[in-house]
Amino acid sequence: MVKKNTQHVVKSPKGGWAVKKGGSSKATKIYKTQKEAIDHGRIIAKNQNAEFYVHGKDGRIRQKDSYVRDPNPPKDKK
Amino acid sequence: MVCDDFNKNVFINCPFDDDFRQILIGIVFTVMYFGFKPRLSLERSDSAESRIDKIIELILESKFGIHDLSRIVSKEKGEHYRMNMPFELGIDYGCKKLKDGQWSTKKILILEKEKYRYHKAISDLSGSDIKHHNNEVIKVIQAVRDWFITEELSRGHSGNKVWNNFNEFGAYLYDEVVEKDGHASTEEVQITEVMYHMKEWFEKYNN
Repeated sequence: MVKKNTQHVVKSPKGGWAVKKGGSSKATKIYKTQKEAIDHGRIIAKNQNAEFYVHGKDGRIRQKDSYVRDPNPPKDKK
Repeated sequence: MVCDDFNKNVFINCPFDDDFRQILIGIVFTVMYFGFKPRLSLERSDSAESRIDKIIELILESKFGIHDLSRIVSKEKGEHYRMNMPFELGIDYGCKKLKDGQWSTKKILILEKEKYRYHKAISDLSGSDIKHHNNEVIKVIQAVRDWFITEELSRGHSGNKVWNNFNEFGAYLYDEVVEKDGHASTEEVQITEVMYHMKEWFEKYNN
């Protein structure tokens, strides 16, 4: 099964907070604070039409936002 | 008694309270990640079966035992500390030392929140290699991973990789139980149900 297009903000084992693409074992970038990671991760998720998960330091989901483009958007009837 | 899964079974003896929940889930995830089978007293809820008999059966059926002693100190005045975990560790240790055959090959990992704190509570364990995790899931995953590599597997994915996958499982669990099943949060779901989703996740993504 193919994994969904996702972006995650997770605690980095070496300190700080990582933005990471779902399925990737490496972080895109590591930030000092979770807020910085959330701000930058959200931009990436929007650009990539991805689902965006913010994890707490214990791995639990604190927040989820979807930027997946609707494949069947409502049509303008004018 | 012969159990076909003896060499894969891991008896997990740790607190089941809310504060420990995510650490327990981290332990169970790491056990499954490396191809082993977690065995918990929570897995059956037959009221006719006594708890101690259930524990003994799990210990007899498991080559591996993970015992967390983090609750050897009570948090508040008047609160009793919990003796179930050290008691069950004692049964597992006795099984390894006093029984012959496959039970003599048992392997035991002891976890604690703080380094050396157990010395005051269970000085019999002085000299034993006990790992501390400071109540951090990331550290407990690393400790369980390192133990399996040292004792059984010789090599395997890094603790960092297991941690990343644990987070991805967390996202999957959120989608399944909150978005699909309508729970207010993943905390509402029982550990056995979390383990069901974990099994599904490993099968779907073949990690």
